[in-house]
This record gives sequence, C-alpha cells and structure tokens, in this order.
Amino acid sequence: MDFGFSKDRKMIQKSVKEFLEKECPKEKVRELEEDDTGFDSEMWEKMAELGWMGIVFPEEYDGTEGDIIDLMLMIEEMGKALLPSPFFPTIALCSLPILEFGNSEQRKDFLPQIANGNAIFTLALTEPSATFEASGVKLSATSDGDWYVLSGTKLFVPYANVADYLLVVARTDGENEDGITVFIVNAKSPGVKVEVIPTTAHDKQCEVIFEDVRIPKENVLGEVDKGWDVVNYILQRGGVLKCAEMLGAAQAALDISTEYAKQRIQFKRPIGSFQAIQHKLADMLTDVEGLRYLVYSAAWNICDGSPSDLQISMAKVKANEVYQKIGIESIKIHGAIGFTREQDIGLYHLRTKASGFCMGDSDFHRERVAIELENYQPPKL
Amino acid sequence: MDFKFGEKEEQLRREIREFVKEELPPGWLTAMLEEESRDEDWEFAMSIAKKLSKRGWLTMSWPEEYGGKGASLWEQAIYLEEVGYWGIPGTSMGVSGVAWVGPSLILFGTDEQKEKYLPQIASGEPDGVWCTGYSEPDAGSDFANIRTTAIKEGDEYVINGQKIWTSAAHRARWMWIAVVTDPDAPKKHQGISTIVVDMKSEGITVNPLVNYTGYHIFNEVFFDEVRVPCENLVGEENKGWYQLMRSLGYERGSVGVGAFGYGKRILDELITYAKETGLFKNPEIRHKLADRAIDIETAKMLAYQTIWKMSKNVIPVYEPSRDKVFNDIVTERLAITGTELMGGYAQLDPLQRDSRWTKLKGCVEGLYWLFPGIAIAAGTDEIERNIIAQFGLKLPKSY
Repeated sequence: MDFGFSKDRKMIQKSVKEFLEKECPKEKVRELEEDDTGFDSEMWEKMAELGWMGIVFPEEYDGTEGDIIDLMLMIEEMGKALLPSPFFPTIALCSLPILEFGNSEQRKDFLPQIANGNAIFTLALTEPSATFEASGVKLSATSDGDWYVLSGTKLFVPYANVADYLLVVARTDGENEDGITVFIVNAKSPGVKVEVIPTTAHDKQCEVIFEDVRIPKENVLGEVDKGWDVVNYILQRGGVLKCAEMLGAAQAALDISTEYAKQRIQFKRPIGSFQAIQHKLADMLTDVEGLRYLVYSAAWNICDGSPSDLQISMAKVKANEVYQKIGIESIKIHGAIGFTREQDIGLYHLRTKASGFCMGDSDFHRERVAIELENYQPPKL
Repeated sequence: MDFKFGEKEEQLRREIREFVKEELPPGWLTAMLEEESRDEDWEFAMSIAKKLSKRGWLTMSWPEEYGGKGASLWEQAIYLEEVGYWGIPGTSMGVSGVAWVGPSLILFGTDEQKEKYLPQIASGEPDGVWCTGYSEPDAGSDFANIRTTAIKEGDEYVINGQKIWTSAAHRARWMWIAVVTDPDAPKKHQGISTIVVDMKSEGITVNPLVNYTGYHIFNEVFFDEVRVPCENLVGEENKGWYQLMRSLGYERGSVGVGAFGYGKRILDELITYAKETGLFKNPEIRHKLADRAIDIETAKMLAYQTIWKMSKNVIPVYEPSRDKVFNDIVTERLAITGTELMGGYAQLDPLQRDSRWTKLKGCVEGLYWLFPGIAIAAGTDEIERNIIAQFGLKLPKSY
C-alpha cells in the first residue's frame, strides 16, 4: 500500500502545473469563453511539443509510454486551471478507445496525428434524450454496400466546432446494448452540421446533425453491433479522467475560498477565524481528500488490471456531489462578491453542471454501483 | 502508488478469519462498545482477549520486549479492520490499555512502570484492564480546564476531585488519569500531569452512568483523599498535557480502520438483508445502499492514507480529526439508512436482541442509538472541525 508518487510522476505534475500557471491564467480562461473556437491553437501546439497528447501512447505512435495515472495527474492540473481545450475529448474520450479497439491502420493513421497535435477528435455519444444509457443511442447507421449512412442528432458533443474527426456512436440494430456501432467520422463529411449550444461553462458543447452522412465501412471502430464495449471502455476511462479534472477544480475552489477567508476582514477579524466558516471549509477539505483517494484508487485499479467498474462509478458519484457542494459553499463563503463575474470562484461553480453530466450523472453511476452490490458476495468464514 | 496489500498482510487477514471461525459463535455480530455492559459479555470478551494475546495480536504493534510483535502499522491496520468487521470482543482491554496507556508508557514511562504494567495488558489478564480519567463535569471539550488535583505530600500524591464519562471504570484495575499537579501554573496546560491510579485504592467511588438505551458503559468516579505513590507519575511532572498531545496524535491515527471495518460489516449485512427481503429491487433503496457503499469506500481510503502517512514516520496532524468527522458522518448515515430498511422493526430494543422479532441481532438499532455518542466521544465533531481548520487549512485559532 503506497499513496506516494514516483519522482517521474511528480515531475509530470510539476511541469503541467507550471506551464498552465504561465499559459492559462484566468484572464485567458475568460478570453477563451468569448472566443469562437474556445481554445488557443498556439497553446495547443506547445502542449503537443511537450508530449502531452501522446503521453499514454507507445513509441511507435509518437508517444512516451506513460500510463493512465500519468494522464490523470495531467488532467487534474488542467481541472485546477480550468483549461479550455479540446484535450479532454481528443485524448481522454477518443485516443484511448482508438488505441484499445482500433485496427493497425486506424492506429497508424490517427494516433501519431493526435500525438503531434495535428488532429482534434471528439466523442458524439449523447443525444437529445441526454442519457448515457445504451437505450439513448438512436442515431441510425444503415448499411449500403461498402458504406454506412448516418442519420440523426447528437447533443453535448464537446468541441465539435473545431474537431477534425468525430467518434460517432450509432444504432445499427436492436434497442439496447446490442446493435451499437462506433464510427470514426471525418468532421468535414458532407451532411455533418455543427452548432455550438449555449452552456454556462461556455465550453463549446455542440449539437451535431447527421443528414445521410456516408461513411466507408473500414471506419468502424471495433466490431459492428458490439460498439457498446467501446462505449463502456470510454465511460470507464473517460469517467475516471473526468473525475480527476473535477478533483483538480474542487481542490482549486477550496484553496481559493480558504485564502479568501484569511483575507476578508469583518468585525475586525478574518472571517476564517469564525467557526461557522471554518467548519464549512473543514468539511470541504474532508470531501476533497476523500474524493482524491477514490479517484486515485480507481485509476490505479485500471492500471493494475484489477476490476475497476465499481471504483469508477463510486468515484464519479462522489466527484459530482463533492464538486457541486464545494461550488455552492465557495460562493457562500465569498459572500456577495462571489456572485460576480470578476471573481474566479464563479468560474469553478459554473462548470459543475457540465462536469456532473459528462460521462454519466450521479443516478446513472449509483445504479451501476447498485448492480455491482447486487452481485457482491460478502466475505465468508 | 500501489493500492494493494502485500502477501504478509493478506496472510494475517486469513489467520484472523480462521481465528474468528474457531473462537466466535457462528454469525457473531455485536453492537459497538457494548462488551463492558453485561457481565456475561464482559467475561466472554476477556476470554477472547486472552486468546488474542496467545496469538500475539492483542498488542501486536508493541516492541517484543514488552509483549508485542513489533508489527508494522499496516499489519495492525489489517488486524483492527478485521476486529471491526467481525466484531471480535476483548481487543481493547477496557478502552485504553491497548490503544494509548501502553504506547504512552513505552514513550514516557520508567523501566519499572514498563515492567509492571505492560505485560499485564499484553497478556490479556484482568489486571491489565484500564480506564482513562480525562473528562470532568467542567472539562469536556475544554479538557485543559480539569480541576481534579494531585498534591504531593511526602512520597505520595493526594488526589481529590471527580471524573465523568469514564468508560469501563467499573471493569478496570487501573486508571490512567490526568490531574492538576500545579494549581498555580501561569497557564492551565503547564500544571497537568498523568498518573497511574490503582482502582482498589481507598477513597475511590465509582457510580454507574447508564446511557439512554440502558447500556452501562461509562461512570462517574469520585476521588476523596486518594493516596497514590509518587512513583506512579508518568513522565515529567506538569508536562502531562504535552505528553498526551504527542502520544494521542499518533495513536488516534489507527482508529479510522476499525471504524471502517465495522461500517463495512453493517453495510454488508444490510445488502444481504435487502436482497433476502426483496427490498433491493426498490430503486430508492438500491441507490441509498449505493451511496452508503461509496461512503464506506471513502472512509477506507482516508483511513489508509493516514496510516500511510504514519508509516512514513510523519505524525499526522489533522488527518485523524478528518477521519473521525468523516466516520461519524458515515456512521450516522449508515444507521439512518439501516433503520429505514428495518422499517417497523427498527423499534426493537437492541439490548434484548434475543427476541425472535429482532433483525440482524439488533446491530442496526444499536448503531442508531449509539451514533450521537460516537460523534461526541474522544473529541466532538465540532472540536475536530476546529482542528482541521486550524492545522489542515492554517486558519486562525477560533476558540
């Protein structure tokens, strides 16, 4: 049992932190909220040069052979900085399933492009039903010779406005987990229409409409009708990595609120000397630290090849609850000033709903935990 | 980073489970902290203590020369976790001997004290049962406000005053007491000492304080001109406060794993109960149990992190407080969810758990009535939150 990090991992943490402190201050976050693309292409190139995109890829795909814990630590720092970037959809949601399920051509085609910062990917999974359940996948893919024809609407697709490729989860048959197929789709294909939807996080989530979009059959990722395996894999990896991002954000919000409580004077004392404020902050600390080790152990289980479904779903429920609570309590600790656009704390709170939904909301994951408990056998003597 | 136990720890876990199978009645399940209450429970607990001692587990983290095994913090954690899960009785020898009297004597005691008291605890004998005299009517959270005095007269201390909420005083052979030895000290903290008191001494009166569910766990203890030899002073005179802070900070670190073990057992019992009764199909109940499972898993990770920190020879500062507050929150939620599952049966008296209508041997009801007490004992949650704020977040002292 070891909660410590190796020197190499600490180096990754430190270099990402320092880079983002320099390149992604809150003025940058605010500026990119107003920007049409929602990210800074120069920063993107620098991140690629630093090897961030290919951190988990083997060398043959221009990667640096790290693991998901390395990636998790990077994303945690991005969460602290509120980095507006298609990094999460490209790396966490798309590159990992391509690495796992892609055939050799697909991997050779796409992974080096991603590693070098030349391709932005995103995941088109959810639809207007706004659920992560398999039954929510209605977008149809109809076989037509060497092609599939895609028709339907995807919603909450992050950074589709700048994506080069989309991983599209489509219905080839059936109604639930059977009959789902995942396609790699060129975002410039005729019939693909992208529109940014107005979210509080200004995080460039999009509606993507597919009007008879023709996709060659070799663009299927994994097996036809067995796409739910791919989706499940994305929900696991993407889930734990989303938790890491939320952990970073929650920790940052706690740090900002603690600092504010030390500075803000009322009744001739810092408000942080009052127990009403201290006890809120103490509970926030306990929540963030509890979340931290749930997320780390889930990621470690994935790395170790141990069963991890239960840990991942537990971590996501916890992340959703903790981040939301810290967002709310942070605003209260700041008082009226926390309610303004000038203060950074609001930026954190405004992202809680997007994060809470991404990769499954609390009830979705609670049910997954319940299913695990149903199959669980307590220790016997 | 590595979140698995080694083979040594897993082997110990197997051995303990083997022990439970051999020594405890089938389906053994206890409510926490109840063994001091009934005579037959206490006798059984002491018989198990003796057996744990024979295995070398009772005081496994102590050095071998004092009856321990020099076990690692991780081995001790596994032991405490299993103790909590299976409800193994007799593990604490009262409430304090194993957990803090022994370790404090190892840190601050004289050779004579170590030779006299440590083997008694380690051997699981009735003479090794201790209670602790800290709280007084006017010294609860404000512990430094104690008034019980020990004034030196020749080669004796003469103790006068009153202790309260003294768990297991009615079972203990010795009391580990905090007293004022210098009533004129400029600061209260500078006049406190720790002394060993023989509970058979003349002038001691123990009155039971039966709790609202009928358990006799704690007592009030009166001292009327109680004479104690000066050699019973532990460590330096008037340095008691600082000694306590040092030894307790370390000892409290291992408390989280035991609480996790017990919580996990209750959760497992509730899951099994919900499956057997069909309640598990109810979406609301499924999700409540899922939430409790997440709580318990979180409590485990926090407890392990504290132990990991101690294993790196870092004295945990705010972590034991963090773990205590969190465990108390989790226990409360678990007890509430549990009694909701029991429905009407949650009204049954946990003390009369032999009733044919009692579910899960009354452990859920026991926990429900006990949890407010757990949240108060050994530092109220409010005081613990003050500690987290002051030492974990570096906020100004608030009291």
